[in-house]
Amino acid sequence: MRIIGVDTGGTFTDFIYQDAPAGSGGQTTETDGPLVWKAHKRLSTPDDPSRAALEGVAEIVRLTGWTDFRITHGSTVATNAILERKGAACALITNAGFEDVIEIGRQNRSRLYDLRYRKSPHIVPASLRFGLSCRTDADGAAVSPLDPEELLRLREALARSGAVSAAVCLLFSYLDPSMERAVGEALAPLGLSVSLSHEILAEFREFERTSTTVVNAYVAPVMAGYVERFDRAAGPGRLRIMQSNGGAISASTAMREPVRTILSGPAGGAAGALLAGRAAGCERLIAFDMGGTSTDVCLIDGELPMTMESEIAGYPVKAPMIAIHTVGAGGGSIARLDPGGALLAGPHSAGADPGPACYGKGEEVTVTDANLYLGRLVPERFLGGAMRLYPDRAARAIETLAARAGLSPRALAEGVLDVANANMERAIRVISVERGHDPREFALFSFGGAGGMHCAFLARLLGIREVLVPKNPGILSAVGMAAADVIKDYSLTVMRDGRLTAKQELEALFAPLEERAAKEMAGEGFGAADVRFERALDMRYLGQSFEIVTPFVEDFAEAFEALHERVYGYRNAGRGLQAVNIRLRASASPEKPRFAEAGNLTPDIPDAAFLGETRTVFDGREFATRVVDRERLLPGNALSGPAILTEMSATLVVPPFARAAIDAFGNCRVRLAPGAPGDERRTRP
Amino acid sequence: MKANPILLEVFKNRFAAVSEEMGVTLIRTAFSPNIKERRDLSCAVFSARGDMIAQAAHIPVHLGSMPLSVKSAIEAAPMGPGDMAALNDPFKGGTHLPDITLVAPVFCGQGTKPAFYVANRAHHADVGGMSAGSMPLSSSIFQEGVIIPPLLLVRAGEADESLMRLILSQSRTPEERRGDFAAQIMANMTGVKRLVELAGKYGEETLSFYGEQLINYAEILARAAIREIPDGTYAFEDVLDGDGQGAENIPIRLTLAVDGEEAILDFRESGDQVRGCLNAVRSITVSACLYVFRALMTGDAPANAGILAPLRILTRPGSILDARFPAAVAGGNVETSQRVADVVLGALAKALPGRVPAASQGTMNNLAMGGLDPRTGRPFAYYETLAGGMGASLGQAGESAVHSHMTNTLNTPVEALEYACPFRVRAYGLRRGSGGEGRFPGGNGLVREIELLGDCEATVLSERRTSRPYGLAGGLPGAAGRNLLTRDGETTVMPGKFQADLRAGDVLRVETPGGGGYGAPDSPGESGD
Repeated sequence: MRIIGVDTGGTFTDFIYQDAPAGSGGQTTETDGPLVWKAHKRLSTPDDPSRAALEGVAEIVRLTGWTDFRITHGSTVATNAILERKGAACALITNAGFEDVIEIGRQNRSRLYDLRYRKSPHIVPASLRFGLSCRTDADGAAVSPLDPEELLRLREALARSGAVSAAVCLLFSYLDPSMERAVGEALAPLGLSVSLSHEILAEFREFERTSTTVVNAYVAPVMAGYVERFDRAAGPGRLRIMQSNGGAISASTAMREPVRTILSGPAGGAAGALLAGRAAGCERLIAFDMGGTSTDVCLIDGELPMTMESEIAGYPVKAPMIAIHTVGAGGGSIARLDPGGALLAGPHSAGADPGPACYGKGEEVTVTDANLYLGRLVPERFLGGAMRLYPDRAARAIETLAARAGLSPRALAEGVLDVANANMERAIRVISVERGHDPREFALFSFGGAGGMHCAFLARLLGIREVLVPKNPGILSAVGMAAADVIKDYSLTVMRDGRLTAKQELEALFAPLEERAAKEMAGEGFGAADVRFERALDMRYLGQSFEIVTPFVEDFAEAFEALHERVYGYRNAGRGLQAVNIRLRASASPEKPRFAEAGNLTPDIPDAAFLGETRTVFDGREFATRVVDRERLLPGNALSGPAILTEMSATLVVPPFARAAIDAFGNCRVRLAPGAPGDERRTRP
Repeated sequence: MKANPILLEVFKNRFAAVSEEMGVTLIRTAFSPNIKERRDLSCAVFSARGDMIAQAAHIPVHLGSMPLSVKSAIEAAPMGPGDMAALNDPFKGGTHLPDITLVAPVFCGQGTKPAFYVANRAHHADVGGMSAGSMPLSSSIFQEGVIIPPLLLVRAGEADESLMRLILSQSRTPEERRGDFAAQIMANMTGVKRLVELAGKYGEETLSFYGEQLINYAEILARAAIREIPDGTYAFEDVLDGDGQGAENIPIRLTLAVDGEEAILDFRESGDQVRGCLNAVRSITVSACLYVFRALMTGDAPANAGILAPLRILTRPGSILDARFPAAVAGGNVETSQRVADVVLGALAKALPGRVPAASQGTMNNLAMGGLDPRTGRPFAYYETLAGGMGASLGQAGESAVHSHMTNTLNTPVEALEYACPFRVRAYGLRRGSGGEGRFPGGNGLVREIELLGDCEATVLSERRTSRPYGLAGGLPGAAGRNLLTRDGETTVMPGKFQADLRAGDVLRVETPGGGGYGAPDSPGESGD
């Protein structure tokens, strides 16, 4: 079985697959020798992303002659349906008296000082919200039952309403799902796409559960249409969809639970980072993906970090997703002086149009312009020379802003980068220091178009000693997708005493979840022997409101207290504990592609790799700096900074305080010299 | 040293990050629902002089009063490394008694004097006093709970157990209080640690210098905002419904005089302090002014001491906006502060027509209940505030069912509430038709209806039950709120402020006010939603 990873991006759709190396013949047979990654690229087709994806797959099939293959796809379909508000007309069925919970939310405003504050527009208009008089209480008992006649009236009203999908979310349904199920059955004859809240998220806190279920119902018909088009063209059953949790699910599951896929693009990147890092012997990573408008960071400590707290376009979504933190700082971030005299970089971005001043249209200084002005971006090598840059325009914009700031143009350009780096440093501190991790114990794993010009400086700010830049960093997401496990997450609010409840009692609560998981994994094509279960508890001290995901080990109470101490610095010995939710993760690995490892390393850098020399400014000083073609460097090659390594899609800046080496897997490893000058203290007026 | 625009921005981020991280620690480890679910807390960093450098975007009503807490802690007792002072005395830097502030000095390197202070304030669910939840309809501060003057609660890193026990013994829920104190201590320790790290990295001198520069920076932005207000004198007046103990239609009067980039806010003609609990100490009045001017400023300007520099705020000691000891103050923080914001915005609406919205709900609808939970036999305490309508503005309808101005606390999820308290929530929804009509209609208030499953004591402290949130430019006022109690099938409209012993089966229904409309209703505009 062969796998093609497909990542739909804004500009390009990336494909990755493994095949025998070119020239070894036998392209179509399963060889025993090492396979290599092969990449393929097409322009995206935003009006219908499946077109580019399918055309690319067809081309790969033509090249390889494959007949037995699967596709793992990082789909932006669900995400875009929400961001562009192009989901289905969706109804909400809830308890009478609670129809507006979805609109009230948590009653707070996200911008404290905004006198004209408005929430995100409602996904479900008031006319499509329906209340039922049934009610379950906090013990799971039916206070008032479901009225069959009311259900019939609901069905008639829904049939007239024009709704294409429906979300059913009743209070305390996770304690006794029978009412939600009965509603679902009653609506079945209408042929709507129905999402039941206890199936999407069997956890307490009604607004978050309702919001998650509504988002699911809103995008489900869109996802279903997409998958059907894909299946028709590529053959049924081949497609898996990447989820936000870093695992894949079958397309048929994705049609039912599309809310699990809304952050699949960045998840692919983080999964790819772990895979490439692990192959290179490095499992403690801070993944750093700097793009044009924003930067994603993710702390990977041997495994992908998970969170349940996320939102998209202002709508909370509680589905397990890789904990990725995003800040509005990227290559296109605009620098300006605010009226108080501070130099800002972002969050406004010049985007692709007009783009940075050096692209020829924009007038404002961006981070990219600052890099170009300081010689860290080589204009002739930008996108392999495919796009012309205008250094004089960048210089003009920088000189203008510098005059207003009372700085030399050089100091201003370095200042813009310092401010952008400080924003990104803060993002990394949020995911590391603030969660009890010391960033110095991690390697920085840099991918994404703009990251290579900043990663060494960021490492210096954080005290990180090594930066790992993978080969062909632009396609890392697609690699993460091609290699993804099939993962399904389940949870249930159980609200048990965490000290007095016996482990066996909790074991028993896991049993129905495991039964459901086994059945659904069989549907994904995995037998019982192939499926791994991981069990965890969401625990807290009695009276707290935030839970810590705790492994379900023999002494889970002690495990929780140790985690609490690590994250928050103390424990409350003797205080009551609550096991709030149980969590089950079922996973299975399809065949894993491997990374090719070079047998021998050579220190000899091919002459052809040296492209010339340029003048570059670092810390206020100008250096003669070698420009090197990264694609021609060989495993084992090493060189000291300052140097600039260029490749088709990225530029890697090796400052004077660092040294770069190519490892056996083709990764570039940038090591910072011990005692590298520490921080931005040098920046003086 | 001269401020460098690059480092100014870098340090703006750094100081903000410290206060935000303190907040995260506090929220995640606290035990009071008020802190952890509703986020009724604030964390901030202060200069060696006690001027606020950065406050995380938490609760605006704490803006002006946190610095006074810090200054009063500094005056009360010198603090050494690892010490922390606690206080809640409204007449010595506090606001109302449930808000307990913990102040810690930050010593950098070999310094013998604090280089900075950090402080956090959290709303504890019960600090004793005459009614559960400690938001009583009191007539003296002595009825409102334990008064903590600034005192050293933590010495050299260890909590003073005797003092702690004395304070905890005043509360109906001492164990929860202990957990909250632990969280507050940890939040300050986080702040101290981060500032010490920053001083180690950049040098104490640079760090202090940029702390001061950030205050200047906010002042420059504040002056720029005031410059946009045409010079002149603008008067506005509104009322508080009453204190529930005889005083009615208590006037809040402002004369705002704008001259260049400075403004004088003269509140001295406002009513006298009252017997009931609506009295505000001066720092609350200052907070409300600071909030409004911060809202006029651009972008991500830090909320700090610099904003106050171009403002002169005049209050009359003994008035409702500058109450004297031993006035009852439980509601000044939550209710009177809202009306001060309404009045400042009302005056500004005359100066800047089109830029200022109509009045928002103008109350926090405080609901406090407590008793024994018949399901467990253990005591419970519940306190929350309810959102309402926001005022409409030129070009835009007001938002519905959202907290406005001086608060931003979250609601308690129905499913969390019914686990924790013997309640059944019967309805939680929009109060349609309550927004003021207008070319751009005001936002709707909401309805929360709670059935009691056990006997309990309830206190409701709400405003805008007789007066209504004003409209602007011909827009109509929002609907006044209503409190309803149903017992044995009979429904009674209750006053805006009342305390009652409720029985199992009683149903309490609160309907919150709508926001004011903007523009005459018959002029072409957009419909509300």
